[in-house]
Amino acid sequence: MRMRRAVAGLGVALLLAAAPAMAHHAFSAEFDINKPFKLRGTLTKWEMINPHSWFHLDVKDESGAVVAWMIEGGSPNQLIKNGVTKNTLAVGTELVIEGYQAKDGTNKGVGRNLLLTDGRRLFLYSRESEK
Amino acid sequence: MNHRILVLASALIGLSAIPLAGQARPKPYTAPRTPDGQPDLQGFWTNATYTPLERPKDVTKEFYTLEEAREIVKKAAVDEAEQTVPGTVPDVHYDFTQFGLDRSQGPMALNLRTSLIVDPPEGRLPPLSAEGARRAAERTAARKSRGGPHDAVQNEPLGSRCILMDRNGPPMLGGAYNNTYQIMQAPGYVMILVEMLHDARIIPLDGRPQLPSNVRQWTGSSRGRWDGQTLVIETTNLTDKFAFMGASENMRLTERFTRLDDETLRYQFTVEDPSTWTRPWSAEVPWKKDKGPIFEHACHEGNYGLYNTLAGARAEERRAAEEAAKKKPQK
Repeated sequence: MRMRRAVAGLGVALLLAAAPAMAHHAFSAEFDINKPFKLRGTLTKWEMINPHSWFHLDVKDESGAVVAWMIEGGSPNQLIKNGVTKNTLAVGTELVIEGYQAKDGTNKGVGRNLLLTDGRRLFLYSRESEK
Repeated sequence: MNHRILVLASALIGLSAIPLAGQARPKPYTAPRTPDGQPDLQGFWTNATYTPLERPKDVTKEFYTLEEAREIVKKAAVDEAEQTVPGTVPDVHYDFTQFGLDRSQGPMALNLRTSLIVDPPEGRLPPLSAEGARRAAERTAARKSRGGPHDAVQNEPLGSRCILMDRNGPPMLGGAYNNTYQIMQAPGYVMILVEMLHDARIIPLDGRPQLPSNVRQWTGSSRGRWDGQTLVIETTNLTDKFAFMGASENMRLTERFTRLDDETLRYQFTVEDPSTWTRPWSAEVPWKKDKGPIFEHACHEGNYGLYNTLAGARAEERRAAEEAAKKKPQK
């Protein structure tokens, strides 16, 4: 499967991500702890919706074919309250996502860590921006 | 790339500037008035807190000192933003800090109390009554008889189905994020908009009776009145389908809202339900001024998670069936 070839660095823990419990639903029922991935793709759409936002990415596999992925992120409410819009993260931005794939094996995952291509972690808003 | 995309977050900025709730005040505060003369509670408020509902077992006092409280908040903020270990269940999640969702990145009132529960004085829930314990066992058995948690959409928790969460209550208790409330007042009514899951509590203040007792609603029937500077809301007519902390549908709730200063609203509530607890109990939460507007939660619109969870459970069942078939001896 192309999708599988697009998944690189299985199980490699390069960076650690924060993930407190008490979310809207049980993520471990939606995503497979045994299917960690690290992929690099181009943002095609950011759905700023509830209960959780979704990042749509075009990911190139090893053969150069483009496959579409959907990555689940956090509720956008706090971001919107602080002036972040869909345009804050421009379509076309290259992102590296570390996460876990959906249990049903489709090209969906939860992004446990969102990175820019230079390795910096992506903070869509933080109090630092008010300074 | 936009300047808002920042690469380093400081989780602890501004904690030292958090105003206090529950402190002795030099003179009583008088809330501003609405045009029709009510104490003005309007605006955006958050009940985000690190204070637990029940007092930790190793704590015996009712209040921390200011220094202790600050230290606890600081530690809780660090813990909340802490890195999880890959390959562990908590790691199968997005990172709160990357979405500005960890509590220390938003406003939060500092609470010197060691528990939200103020009565019983030991800060813990009273024991269940015999009837309450029996009902809890019956509910567990009924849940099991319906099958596994992902066997049917009806078996999923109300929150996962975008129906109701603990931010709604009533009583309204905060969670990990999206803890904002908007209060609006009009002559004869108060409206409380709950950020998560976008429920508007519209409460008459004109002294009318509660709904007939055979009318049951997720958030009950609420009627309000003023007691001096304090808005009092009484709620009955709850439903057995949404059981606040195991309560029965006969639970009677009294909520009290009092402005303590420009930045703080005191939220108190008392739960009376003799068929669940051996005595009534009360809690108190300081609400801190927040900013709006509240983005509509519209939970159903993006709830792909519910589909993915059910699809994941079916995929696991198929895998298990295939493996069982392989193990079956060939005839």
